[in-house]
Amino acid sequence: MHQVILDRLEEYLAGTPGSREFTAHLESCPACRTEVSGMQELSNALGVLRAGEEVTPPAGFYARVAERVEQQRPRSFASLFWLDPVFGRRVAFASLMTLAVLGSYLISRETDYSAGPTNPATVMAEQAPAQDPDVMLATLASYEP
Amino acid sequence: MGSAAGALPLPVLGSRVAVRKRVDYENSQEGGLVRRAQSGDEAAFREIVERYQSKVFSIIHGIVRQRNDVEDIAQQVFSKVYFSIRNFDFRSSLITWIYKITVNECFDYLRKKKVRKLVYESDLSEDEARRVENTEPAVNRQAPVDQNLARRDYVVKLLMRVSEEERTLLMLKEVEGRSVEELAMMTGMNENTIKVKLFRARQKLVKAAQRLDRNPVAG
Ligand SMILES: [Zn+2]
Repeated sequence: MHQVILDRLEEYLAGTPGSREFTAHLESCPACRTEVSGMQELSNALGVLRAGEEVTPPAGFYARVAERVEQQRPRSFASLFWLDPVFGRRVAFASLMTLAVLGSYLISRETDYSAGPTNPATVMAEQAPAQDPDVMLATLASYEP
Repeated sequence: MGSAAGALPLPVLGSRVAVRKRVDYENSQEGGLVRRAQSGDEAAFREIVERYQSKVFSIIHGIVRQRNDVEDIAQQVFSKVYFSIRNFDFRSSLITWIYKITVNECFDYLRKKKVRKLVYESDLSEDEARRVENTEPAVNRQAPVDQNLARRDYVVKLLMRVSEEERTLLMLKEVEGRSVEELAMMTGMNENTIKVKLFRARQKLVKAAQRLDRNPVAG
């Protein structure tokens, strides 16, 4: 599209009659004529989306917006405790229980270990091959309790 | 609006003018309202909703024409406004920003519903809907009701093929009837930038229309 057309295109499409220069160019330039006419057609077509009538929002619209905002409000981890103290206390209790179970498990494991070799030299001797990662993998793979 | 030959010139002062406009707007009455909403003032948010709800409903109705879904889309628009108002940077006017959100929500909705279904689910009888379905939108211009629905279907398909920014500009110009000068004020861009963006958007629409006319089913 030539500059003389491009400069005035928006006004022309909005219905302002083209200047003499504009019209003369359109008449003499088939390329611009085709492009402008395609754009003109689509410009008219877009008018179908015009609202046409005023739509009044039903009563209570703001309240429903506020409700949706609340539903979509992202809950932070901390807000779980603030918003619902009962739930917060349950989470805290569950965490404590987990800790207690884990702790007793570790202690029982510790007891198992204490039945094993206690001499540091023996322990080091047992663990030595595991320093090579490949050996360690092989040990793990072939490990049978 | 220069008529010099060559590419459309972009004035050097453009950005400085935009900054001044932004500062003016930020200090306006509406700017104050926005800043209150940004700081979490629910009353300010409510005022924004009440100020623009009719406009938003009308825009949505114009685009989707589905009375039952207009409120749902409008609620989603204002929920987005609520959660993203902190990102509003006063570059454009509040209504331009809300307009953009509204148009995006409408097109999201239409994309989800599929344009074909839109025609079926309208208030038409099954017979009429089938007739529309078998109608090539750009060519057939017989029954006025069918024609309007088919034209909306067609236009929506085309607008789905341009970027969000291009769609908003085209809609503001063609549907809202804003001038290039008004668009420049509303968006904070200069007039030549608006013209260039609109021109590229129109070129894309023409190409999309040519493809759609060749292969209507693909849309
Ligand atoms: Zn030309």
